[in-house]
Amino acid sequence: MKYVGQSIERVDAIRKVTGQAQYVGDFHMPRMLYAQVKRSPYPHAKIISIDVSKAEKLPGVRAVITGECYTKRCGLYLEDKNFLANKTVKYQGEAVAAVAAETAEIAQEACDLIEVVYEELPAVTNAIDGMKPDAPLIHPDLHTYKVAPIFFPKPHTNISHHYKLRKGDVDKAFQECDYVAEHTYYIPHVQHVPLEPHVAIAQYEYDGKLTVWASTQSPYAVRQALSVAFEIPLNKLRVISPYVGGGFGSKAGTTIEGIIIPLAMRCKGRPVKLQYSREDEFQNSYVRQGLHCKIKTGVKKDGRIHAVKNEFVWDGGAYTEYGVNIVKAGGFASAGPYNIDNVWTDSYCVYTNHPVGGPYRGFGMCEIHFAIEQNIDIVAKEIGMDPVEMRRINGLRVGDKTCMGETMVVSGYHECLEEVIKDIGYGEKSESTNPRKVRGKGIAAGWKSPSMPTNAGSAAIIRMNEDGTFFLMTSGQEIGQGSDTALTQIAAETLDVDPKLITIRTGDTDHTPYEWQTVASRTTYCAGNAVKLACEDLKKKILELAQIKLGAYKRDLEFKDGYVVHKIYTDRKVPLSEFALGLAFDDGSGVGGPAIGVGTFTLENNINYDKETGIGEHPVAFWTIGVNGAEVEVDLDTGEVKVLRMVSCFDAGKVINPETFCAQSEGAMVQAMGTALFEELILKNGHILNKNFVDYKIPTADDMPELDVKYIEHAEPTGPYGARGVGEPLMVPGAPAIANAIYDAIGVRFNRMPITAEEVLKALKEKANK
Amino acid sequence: MVLNGGTDVVIQLRDRLINPEYVVDIKRIPGLDELRFSKEEGLHIGACVNMNRLGGDENVRTYYPFLANAALSVGSKQVRNRATCAGNLINASPLADTSTPLLCLEAVLEVEGPDGKREIPINEFFVFVRKTTLQKDEIVTGIRVPYYEGAEGIFTKVSRRNKVDLSTVCSTVMKYAGQYRAAFGSVAPTPRRLPKTEACLNEGPLDDARIDRAVELALSEVSPIDDVRASKQYRLDVVAMALRRGLESLG
Repeated sequence: MKYVGQSIERVDAIRKVTGQAQYVGDFHMPRMLYAQVKRSPYPHAKIISIDVSKAEKLPGVRAVITGECYTKRCGLYLEDKNFLANKTVKYQGEAVAAVAAETAEIAQEACDLIEVVYEELPAVTNAIDGMKPDAPLIHPDLHTYKVAPIFFPKPHTNISHHYKLRKGDVDKAFQECDYVAEHTYYIPHVQHVPLEPHVAIAQYEYDGKLTVWASTQSPYAVRQALSVAFEIPLNKLRVISPYVGGGFGSKAGTTIEGIIIPLAMRCKGRPVKLQYSREDEFQNSYVRQGLHCKIKTGVKKDGRIHAVKNEFVWDGGAYTEYGVNIVKAGGFASAGPYNIDNVWTDSYCVYTNHPVGGPYRGFGMCEIHFAIEQNIDIVAKEIGMDPVEMRRINGLRVGDKTCMGETMVVSGYHECLEEVIKDIGYGEKSESTNPRKVRGKGIAAGWKSPSMPTNAGSAAIIRMNEDGTFFLMTSGQEIGQGSDTALTQIAAETLDVDPKLITIRTGDTDHTPYEWQTVASRTTYCAGNAVKLACEDLKKKILELAQIKLGAYKRDLEFKDGYVVHKIYTDRKVPLSEFALGLAFDDGSGVGGPAIGVGTFTLENNINYDKETGIGEHPVAFWTIGVNGAEVEVDLDTGEVKVLRMVSCFDAGKVINPETFCAQSEGAMVQAMGTALFEELILKNGHILNKNFVDYKIPTADDMPELDVKYIEHAEPTGPYGARGVGEPLMVPGAPAIANAIYDAIGVRFNRMPITAEEVLKALKEKANK
Repeated sequence: MVLNGGTDVVIQLRDRLINPEYVVDIKRIPGLDELRFSKEEGLHIGACVNMNRLGGDENVRTYYPFLANAALSVGSKQVRNRATCAGNLINASPLADTSTPLLCLEAVLEVEGPDGKREIPINEFFVFVRKTTLQKDEIVTGIRVPYYEGAEGIFTKVSRRNKVDLSTVCSTVMKYAGQYRAAFGSVAPTPRRLPKTEACLNEGPLDDARIDRAVELALSEVSPIDDVRASKQYRLDVVAMALRRGLESLG
């Protein structure tokens, strides 16, 4: 292929490195107002009264709102969320009132003048406690909430979704096993930490038109949610998402838009802007849900995993409108990329008085694999088998059935595994020059499928200009992952024109066509398919005209380097630009009209699984599988873990751009390392103790290990040029690979992340005392 | 309120922890950016000398390498271009990175106020968390550090992350004329020398038993707390490790 598979320069590179790219934070508009938010100091409390009179009187204040102004709930899958607290506050930092004023400083001063009287309520600060029958109820009216039919809240409890997977007969299977063991793990809350915190501007015009500029991954999903919440018809609601400075899931769905819209509605004609601080970002956007994880594994003498029983309890936070779907995804992928006949999984989403859980790169997979992949190592060691051998025996092959009962049509599991084993030098000990430091190596695998509605749709439009250049329009959102470049390459390949001739336009619901969301590692796959179909549509139309122009059958014509060329008589060719406005004849008449191609994609035969068993023939679009290896060095005196090297190999189907694939892989490994070693949102009685970079640490350049990126390509049958999504799956095996390497180095297991120096030193002392 | 590097003041302003009527920038006052060394007079660090300049200075690297290491362990390169050594001391954080080498070196703070000039020895400077003996309307103009022929020192910083982090524990162990000095940060309300530990180390030859005894004394002379960065126990473990490693390196 000419353009697909090539490391062309990113189409947004120059704009970004020169600072020309505009982000919402850069937008300053005439007569703009600035919003600030009054927040709850308590994790759980009843709002007795709110007095905004002093705030309203402050000069420069234009509007003050409280939760009473808009009581309608909304949400992506479960309508449980108010943008401003209504009657009770459910987490510390929840918005209770907001102010729009001439300056951000005046707005802040006004917030300080708002007097709120609370009556504190007992808080749920642990998901396990939240499931108990006597736990305080965070959403007493849960049974009345509107919910998508694939989610199952338990009325009069804190459980907002109970996902069940029932494959085979687990109880009987455990009887048949030679060895059965149960282990527990805990994964704390972490935050996405995008470089650009959330920011949005809303402007409500006198004719009822609402425009929202937002740093968002999902302009169409935002439009839909806001339309429901504020009862604005979709033709009057425009969402614009320019460049986005990193999302990692946190900018999917709605967060801050719902706070500024009511303000804008009260200040007609004036744009209202709200910019989150870093502290807000940690507390008031989304966080990755915490997870309590119990895995019971039964194996046969030969190392075959015969049965698995999982209990996942997710700490969903105050609202789980989006989180319920992570709980589902974690549940249906709960056996990992392994061929296991008997699987029983209960995955619970539990309300707590913690920050709101939401999508985070991996969508549950990073969390469950920290458990699954350590569990494989543990069980293998317990039966005296090399963990790698156990993976070879149980890894999914083509033709095997997944835990959901579907048949694998592609699986690169074993090739990726062998590649990583070789590259990391698994089994070969390496020694530190420092006698007080020890080294170890570990391996982990992972899988992920897009957890999206089975009928999630994508659309694309390709327009040819008079000079033979193109505009490609989609609403797949560039969030740093390189989608603008990948989609441009797919268009260039399909049309056989230089990618430089194609300009991509995204992120404007009035002008760029529908895209469900930029999440689920689906953009290259779903939007890519739509782009390919749009270009094929354009080709088809042009070939109709070309056969008249060239006097040849269209079956003998092809697109080549910006021309329509006769396949046999190659000197017979016409530049594409001649068809830009249709075909013109000598007598002045024309046919065909301006050249435009349309493509829409919805994966066919993608059918919901059975509600009671979780089993289905084709419940997900595809599975992406890969393996990581890690080598670590542990300082026996300080407990400090240094990751020396990481290796990644994934089956990408088809890599559209090797350079951006490599960047995605490296970023994923480093992000995984951050969660494995440093990151935790420290929560005490519902209060976040480290909502800043002073005390929430992510890796710096100094922490970078040597990173080696590999890939294999078994084409995805339904993917554009065989591509499947990789952005999130690439992060999944990193943390457990590091944990397994630490075990190899010091012989200590950590069932909780992050594995900080303090935890390691404590464990080393305990081991020495035994 | 005095603004020097601003790496503490600006954050306190942003977090609305302080609300001063005036902020006075002292960076342009002539002479305050002076950094000079002679074996006779020792090192003079002007109040406005930033951490990168201090840590990168040839004389500091040659004659006070552990002070240079401490200066270069502060924050990020960008922060060190702003942050000053004087500000690091005046902020009086228990974990001020340059405090432990300067405590061992028995530095003197040069102070000027409405009543003229005076000097405050560093061991009389820190009173409590963010409290010093600096009086209202006084400013620190410089730090004087004596020169010690043949002195050696080890600066240790243990933090959650290798770079751009605060110390979980920081320390300096120094040897001069056969005598040891030890100072620790983030183990008490102020950075502090450990007199009993030093006395033990200086009573006789340094053997394993003496090191064990010194470590035991060090642990009794510090009083770390549990906080979001580390537990008390981890800090105690690090104190023991840093003292042992320091003594092993110095011999």
